This record gives sequence, structure tokens and C-alpha cells, in this order.
Amino acid sequence: MTQPATDVEITETLDCRGLLCPLPVYKAGVVLSRLASGDVLKLITTDPGALEDIPALARQRGDTLIATEQADGTQTFWLQKGGAA
Amino acid sequence: MTVHSPPGLATDRDLRRYDDIRDLLPDVDNPTPLVRLSRSDVGRLDLYLKLEWLNPFGSIKDRAAAYMLDALADAGQLDGKEIVEASSGNTAIALAALAALSGSRLTVTIPDGVPEEKKVLLRMLGAEVWETPDDLCPVDNPRDGAIALARSLAASEGGSRYVMTNQYESRHNVRAHYETTGPEIWRQTDGQIRYFLAGFGTCGTITGVGRYLKERDPTIEVVAIEPQPGHRLPGLKSFAEAKEPGILDRSVVDHVVRVDDEPAYATTKRLFREEGLIVGPSTGAIVHAAARFAVDRSGIAVGVSPDGGHKYTSYFAELLGDEGLPAF
Repeated sequence: MTQPATDVEITETLDCRGLLCPLPVYKAGVVLSRLASGDVLKLITTDPGALEDIPALARQRGDTLIATEQADGTQTFWLQKGGAA
Repeated sequence: MTVHSPPGLATDRDLRRYDDIRDLLPDVDNPTPLVRLSRSDVGRLDLYLKLEWLNPFGSIKDRAAAYMLDALADAGQLDGKEIVEASSGNTAIALAALAALSGSRLTVTIPDGVPEEKKVLLRMLGAEVWETPDDLCPVDNPRDGAIALARSLAASEGGSRYVMTNQYESRHNVRAHYETTGPEIWRQTDGQIRYFLAGFGTCGTITGVGRYLKERDPTIEVVAIEPQPGHRLPGLKSFAEAKEPGILDRSVVDHVVRVDDEPAYATTKRLFREEGLIVGPSTGAIVHAAARFAVDRSGIAVGVSPDGGHKYTSYFAELLGDEGLPAF
């Protein structure tokens, strides 16, 4: 899952560039909590720790990490609230 | 915010008249009260509680908060920055009040499970409250999510936006107790104190007071109270699950007494009913520990009563169940 999710409808985008972990984890958790099941959060980070933390967050919360992209020092995650359809 | 007002009467501590709420902050000439427990079974100990909830912002944390903010201001580190701190409530409340007085903003990362009362008070004071699960970091899973989050806020954006008072690492937290709480207790007991009891938390109190008292009299014994893992005693820390703060000086701690939640809350209820003391649960933990520690010991003991009971009414409602309601 290192390809961008180009055909997914994004419900909300959260830009966490410049923020250190666990701040992106916290913010993503807050946003995912208020989204509806099936909604998609696009999360952009620059802390490499997010590559471990965000998949773990999705597992912990029971959400689905649809795709991950790494480019130019940023990581982008597409997270769907709830289990895979 | 500066409001122009006519010159008032000068602060006069003898009259308990204050020009500014900050003038109430304690020191050796303006100590918090020391009250003897006269109806509690603590063996041959003469146990006094230092009522820290009579500080202006309601807890022992007023001391450290004032010292830490003053140190940041003196170093020019507050200029244009927002303050961030990890706190189970009391430090944050003191910081929020002091920040409001100086026109600063405060963001608090607060562990989940802290009573609603504290979170509401913080928001009333204008602070932003970020409730944080202890297991926030899903990878390495330390039990201090609020601290990790506050640190990451302070370090993010090149450190340009936030400054962290960092009560777990700040020497000014220790200094506050070394310079105020310790000398107050020494003076209030005429130097006759034999035992000092305080909880493990940030460890500013036990390190600062313990160090001061042992410098005055090395035979004074310092007793730390530690809760059990998974406890519900806000402000206290179990080092079986939380990282030991960098400011803890173990060399001043002679004994560690571990307490369970149930007797701590039972003792809190008893302090309400038998001593007329409206205290928070950590005071119950400390008094319960004192009763266990009292076996085969005598002399003057001073325990810290870190905060009052008003901020825990939702916890106490659970404790009481139907008790005190009409039975018909």
C-alpha cells in the first residue's frame, strides 16, 4: 500500500506537516472520532514516526488504512473510519 | 488585559487584604494552614495535614506553577508563546489562572479519566483542554500519553509556537517546595517534625520538601505514597506504569507506602465526616498510608493535603451510590 488513493472520496484532510509524533496520532484520532463510518480522512505528515504510528492507530481503533504514499519527505495516509467494506 | 483602576489599598497580610490574587501565593510568612487530625486513628503519631487547597487557585500546584512561569518569564521564554503542560488538572488550573492574569494562552494535555469538574474549570479559565489517553502512542505504548503529547507540541513547528513548563522535569518545581513548603513546615512545627508524608506525582513536593527538611535535621524521615497500577487517584503516579520523573531524588525518600484505591477513598469519606475536611482522594491516600505507617512510631508527622474535594464530586457520587438519599 505505497500508492496514493486516487479514486477515493475524501471527507476531510488533516495537514500535520511539521508536527512531531504523537501529535499527528492525537489529531487524527480526534478527527476520526467525529467522522461517520465509511468517511475517509486524508492525513499528511512529515515525522517519519508516523509510518509506524498511523497504521498502529488504525489497528487500535478498528479503522482501515486504505493507502499510504511517501514522497518528498512527506507521508500521506488515507484512513477510512471503521472496518473494510 | 490591563484595566485602569484607581489606586487601591496596599496588600496587608495581617489584615488578609490583598491588592492582587497573586499576593496570596504562599511563602514562609504566608503559609498554608497546618491542621491536626484529632479524630483519626494514627496510633501514637501526631498527624498534621498541610491544607494546600487553601492556596489561591486551589491546590499545592499553585507553588510550582508560579515558580515555573516566573522562571520562563525571567528567561524571556514566554514572549509571544503559548504555554503547554501535561497535567491531571491542578497544575493546569494554577497555570491557567496565572496565564490568564498575564495575558498568555495555555493548552493542557490531560490524561483521560480526570474528573469533568477539572476540565470545566480549565475551560472557564480560558485554557484549551486536550484529553489524552495514556496509551496514545500505539507503537511503544508508554503510560504517559499526556506528557508525550505536550512534549511533541512544544517541539513541533521548530519550537516556535509553544513553550512547555514541564513540571516533571523542572527544577523550579522542586525549588518552589524547597523555598516555600519546606520552610513553612519547619517553622510551623517549631522544628519538631519527625515524619513527612507526600505522594509520588511529579515528585516536586517530596524532593523539595524532603531535601529542605533533611538539611535542617537528617533524622527526619520522608515517606512517599505510591498508588497501585491502574489506580484512580488523580495527581499520584505509580512508577510500575509511569516513567519516574527526572526531578525525583530518591536519596531523600526513606519509605514508600503503597495504597489501594478502596481504602484511600474510604479514608477520604471518613475525613469528610469525622474531621470536617473536604479533601480530594489523594489526601485520603496519604492519611491511610500514615495510619499504616504509624505502627510502632510516634512524634509529629506532617502529611500533605494536595487539594480539596470540590473538584471530585462526580467521583464521590459514584462512591456513594444511594447513600445519603431518602430510603423511603
